[in-house]
Order: sequence, then structure tokens, then C-alpha cells
Amino acid sequence: MDRRNFLTGATALAGLASGRARAAEATEITFYYPVAVGGPITKIVDGYAADFEKANPEVKVRPIYAGTYQETIVKMLTAHKSGTPPTTSVLLSTDMFSLIDEDAIVPIDGLLKSDADRGWLKSFFPAFMENSRTAGETWGVPFQRSTIVLYWNKDAFREAGLDPEKAPANWDEHVAFAQKLTKRDPSGNATQWGTQIPSSGFPYWLFQALATEAGTKFMDEAGTHTFFDKPEAVEALQYWADLSQKYKCHPPGIVEWGTTPKDFFERKCAMMWTTTGNLTNVRNNTKFPFGVAILPAHKQPGSPTGGGNFYISKKVPAEQQAAAVRFIQWMTSPERAAQWSVDTGYVAVRPDAYDTPTMKAYVEKFPPAAVARDQLKYATAELSTHENQRVTKALNDAIQATLTGSKPADRALKDAQVEAERILKPYR
Amino acid sequence: MSALASRSPYAPKAGGLVAEAAASWLLAIFWILPLLYAVWTAFHPAEFSTRFELAAPLTLDNFRRAWAAAPFARYFLNSVLLVALVFGAQVILCTLAAYAFARHEFFGKGIAFALVLLQLMIMPDVLIVENYRTMGTLGILDSIPAIALPYVASAFGIFLLRQTFKTVPKELDDAARLEGANDLQVLLKVYVPLAKPVYVAYGLVSISYHWNNFLWPLIVTNSVESRPVTVGLQVFSSGDQGVDWAIISAATLMTSAPLLIAFLVFQRQFVQSFMRAGIR
Repeated sequence: MDRRNFLTGATALAGLASGRARAAEATEITFYYPVAVGGPITKIVDGYAADFEKANPEVKVRPIYAGTYQETIVKMLTAHKSGTPPTTSVLLSTDMFSLIDEDAIVPIDGLLKSDADRGWLKSFFPAFMENSRTAGETWGVPFQRSTIVLYWNKDAFREAGLDPEKAPANWDEHVAFAQKLTKRDPSGNATQWGTQIPSSGFPYWLFQALATEAGTKFMDEAGTHTFFDKPEAVEALQYWADLSQKYKCHPPGIVEWGTTPKDFFERKCAMMWTTTGNLTNVRNNTKFPFGVAILPAHKQPGSPTGGGNFYISKKVPAEQQAAAVRFIQWMTSPERAAQWSVDTGYVAVRPDAYDTPTMKAYVEKFPPAAVARDQLKYATAELSTHENQRVTKALNDAIQATLTGSKPADRALKDAQVEAERILKPYR
Repeated sequence: MSALASRSPYAPKAGGLVAEAAASWLLAIFWILPLLYAVWTAFHPAEFSTRFELAAPLTLDNFRRAWAAAPFARYFLNSVLLVALVFGAQVILCTLAAYAFARHEFFGKGIAFALVLLQLMIMPDVLIVENYRTMGTLGILDSIPAIALPYVASAFGIFLLRQTFKTVPKELDDAARLEGANDLQVLLKVYVPLAKPVYVAYGLVSISYHWNNFLWPLIVTNSVESRPVTVGLQVFSSGDQGVDWAIISAATLMTSAPLLIAFLVFQRQFVQSFMRAGIR
């Protein structure tokens, strides 16, 4: 509670200094928000905006719901190119380089005046800041962030003779458990798969978890070099392909991201790898006891982070940018971050959010909520480079080619690396 | 049908007839399957959306949840206003332009028509930034006219009507003029009535296109007051968490119902107009 009072105090002071003279005319900020989670999300965000306006009457916030992340960035860049961008938007943390290359956003550090404000940027989990900084400047503020975790069906574990309270700790256990958990009907068709790692849409994200566990990184911090064809990466992709092709405990071919939670609810798979953002969804829809665990380790545990950051647009007046900073500070305050995590299942973006009464009560009642936090110390930055869409597409194609069996892992990744080299050359 | 077939020397023989019927049934079934699936999932609780059980309980709950998730009544009103505005403006503009291109001689006619045809080759999506900037200059961003304006001068409509007007016998035109009709009267009394099937067919294409259009309305609108139903559906996109098929199916059925019902009611007219207008 102290920090919140302090923050509102600080913003009130700032308001006194700059805003009192024209208190009558409120600064309006527009806020593009992508609808990436189910449920009454727009109503929650509307509620937050209204609460913020109540605390800061001289700022008006207009949330604009803009579809998926992809549609939101299209909308944002269109408005930017026409000279009327939104004041602030939530976009994927991995779009940072693209947004910088388009000259669409400003570094947050430049907008922070006091030491207290600069201290605020240090209050987030370091794993989340990896995707928010480059070349010493901070361009994004973590907001709705996630990592990948393993969900398992405790009933299925019990039926297969496994300890229902123990998730697989490493790759070998993961395969062994998954083989025991795979059930087939007399004609040999699987009625329940042991494990499921989705591979549609953005397979690079899940692959990055496997590659991190195998002990390799995908890119450098400047976003200009990729390391897709390292032997560890090949090993990771081979492991993924082997789950279905060799061990037959994972559905063959491409597994749809969107329906994987549904497969889990329907007991079509006993374990699934998916985002922590699904926690509330799984909690509301499973009819059996389930567990949530850190992903199985190989050389090390690991998972990439994911999700969205706040960005502030370049082509908007300075007083709007200042108001946007206040809004973002308010949205990421510990109490708000905790509340957001409870409402949506995203990871609270700062450690002190876990000390708030809201979060403590939530974790006590629902211990899986803390798993994502515990995994953050092993988390790495999500793949993000210049020309991010094209580079990740090269990798996605390679992964899918291997999973469908049309290219061996080493050759597919080599091809992806060559393609990424070609795309990134102009940025070095 | 079989009596008719035996009389025509070109009609398929018995074996061919069976194959033809089987193929059309197969195509029809493939076409209707997604719709059937949507109907199945929309009227059953979420746990039956990937399981087929005849005894599954029916429910309207998905529709209730979808309706409550966004102000759909307002979105429907916006969509209706939008398609009415677009189609109304298109009919007036395209008729006048097509008439000029079909029956009048003026300086630069060839070039002007080539420019209109050029518009047919360009995907509207390419022009999004420029259109957005134009709407910004006009000061009408985030309004229904802003969604409609880039589409009112439809090259397709002009082209289609010009071709139709060209097929109208010149004698009818001359006869009307002998009776003392002026240009506009000739257009309204001779050309427009003869082109009626084309208007119906074009209306279906235009209305379904603008009812379903998504990207441009999404980009140019910000508020509930101006967004059409397709943009309203975005609240169900939820990419991070996977999708709830039951509620999405319900919402999709809800938003496409007006077009589906209109098609079923006017099916005969539509099919005939399409055959006469030569649009496929």
C-alpha cells in the first residue's frame, strides 16, 4: 500500500507542477489494447481505465480494442504512418525491433524525470526486461507477460500408475511418462496422447523452450545475429520430432495451438505445454485435478518469456507521452499487477506484486499460480530480431517441415539459419 | 428430369448422371459441413463441441454469453447502416458513370475508363495507409462514412453496369428519345429496368463483401458507435489462450444470420440474376 500511495503522491506532484494551470482541459490518451485472452477482458480493462481516471482526473484514457496482436500492430503502424498514432499501445515484446525500425516508438527512459521514476523500471523481473531493452535503452514496459509451463492431468497419471503429484523433471522422464500415458483402442488409434506441444502459429516459441533446455540461445542482444543451427538446437528439434515419430506418444504432424487446451480438458492429451496465460482458462474448465510444473529440463531448465509490453508512440505531443507514463506506472503498480495476474492468469511482472495481500491470498488458495514466477529465474528472452516477422517465419517453416517429416532437423535448421543471415545482413 | 434427359442428345447418360449427382452431393456436403459444425457447437454446451452425441442437451447459453460479451445490437445497427450507405452510394455513382461510359462520347473517355479498370487490379488493402490519411484530413476517422467512402466509387460496379448497358439495343434508346425523353429519363426508364438482374446480383456481392469486411473497418474505427459486427467479433479472438469454439460458433452464426436468411429467402432470384449477369 505504501508504494501505491507514494506513486500517486508523486504523480499528484507532477500534476501540480504542470497540470494545475490548465486543470479544466484534460489530457486525453488513447490506448490500443489487443484482445489476447478470453473472458470479459475488455470490461476488466475498461474498469482499470475508469479507476485510473478517478485517481487522476486531469487525464482521460480511451482504451481501443484492436483485435489480435497482429491486427493491433497493423492498426498502430497505419495510424503512425498517417501521423496520428495512439498515445500508447500494448504490443508483443518481440515487436520492439520492428517498431524501432519504423521509428514508431520512443525510449521510456527519456520520458522519466525523477529518480523515483527511473527506479520504477528496475522493479520488474529481469527476465522480462531482456525483451524490453536494446543498446542501453528501454523501449517497452512489461505488462501482460507469460512463460510456457507444463500442465498435467493427475487422474491420467494415477490411471497410468504414475505418482499423480510428480511432474516429469527431465526430458527422459517426459518421454517415459508420455509413453505410459498414451492409450490406444484395439485398432491402434490413440485415444489419449501422453503429451502435446502445439506447433501451429508460433512453433518457434515452444521450440525455444526445448532449445533453451538443451543449452543454446537463438539470438544476440542487438537482434542482428541468430544461432538456429547450433547442435543443441538440432538436438532439441530432433527430440520434439521423436516424440511423435519414434516414441509415438505425441500426436503426429502439426498440433493446433488454439485447441490444445481443449484437448487437455477432453482428456485427449495427458500433459500439455502451453502459456501460463491459460491458467485461469484451465482452472475454470477442467473437470479433473491438474498440476502445473516447470518444463522438464535437459542440460538446464528453461523457457522463453512471451506476451505484451506497453509502448509509447513517437509522434504524439509531449504532455500526452507524460500522461501515458503515469498511466503505465499506475497499471504496473504492485497491487494492479497482482490484480491483473489474478484476473487473467498472466505472470505478475514484478517480484513485489507477489508480496501484496491479493497475490498472497491467491497463491495460497491456488499454488500453481506461483509456478510461473519460480520458472522466471530460468527464463530467457523470446526470439526477437530486426525484421522479426520474416526471421521467425524462416524458423517456423523449418520446425514444421521437421515435425511433418519432410526435412530432417539438421537440414531444416541450417536452411532457416541461411535465410535469417540473408534477412539480417543489412542491419549489421 | 430423367424424361428431359432422355430427350436431349447432350444430357449425361445413366452412369454419367449418377456420377454427376454423387459429385454435386459431395460438393454440397463439403460446403455445408463447417456450417453444420457451427450449428452443432453453437447449440450444445462446450464439452460437446468435439464430441458427437445425439442425446447431447440443447442450449441457448452460448448465444446468451456471446450476446453479452459485446454490444452486438449496436454493432448490427452499424453494419446495416454501413451496407445501406455503401450500396446506396454505389448504385447512384456506378449507374451514372456506367451510363456515361456506355452511351456518351466525351474527351478522354478511353483514358478515364482505363483508370477505372486499373482500380480493379489493385487490392484495396494496399491503399490502407493512404486511405487512412485521407480520412484523417477529412476529419471523419472513426465514423461509418469513413468505412464506406473508399468503396463507393466501385470499379467493379461501373464495369459491370457499363457492359450491361452496352447490350441494351440502341433502338430502345432511340425510341425513348423520339418520345421526348431526356438523358436522365432514358437512363431511368430504359436502361435501369433492363439491368435489374445485374443490380440484384451486384447488390448481393457488394452487401456480403461489406458485411464481411474486416481489416479496413478495424483500422479506421475505434469506438462502439462506429464498429460493424465483424469487428465486434474480435472480442472472441483470444489468441493466447486458445479458443472456445462453442461461443465463437454462436457469435458467428449470430452475425452471419442476416445474410444466410436473406440468401435462403431470395435464393431463386439470386441464382437467376447471377446466371443472367454472368457473375461467378
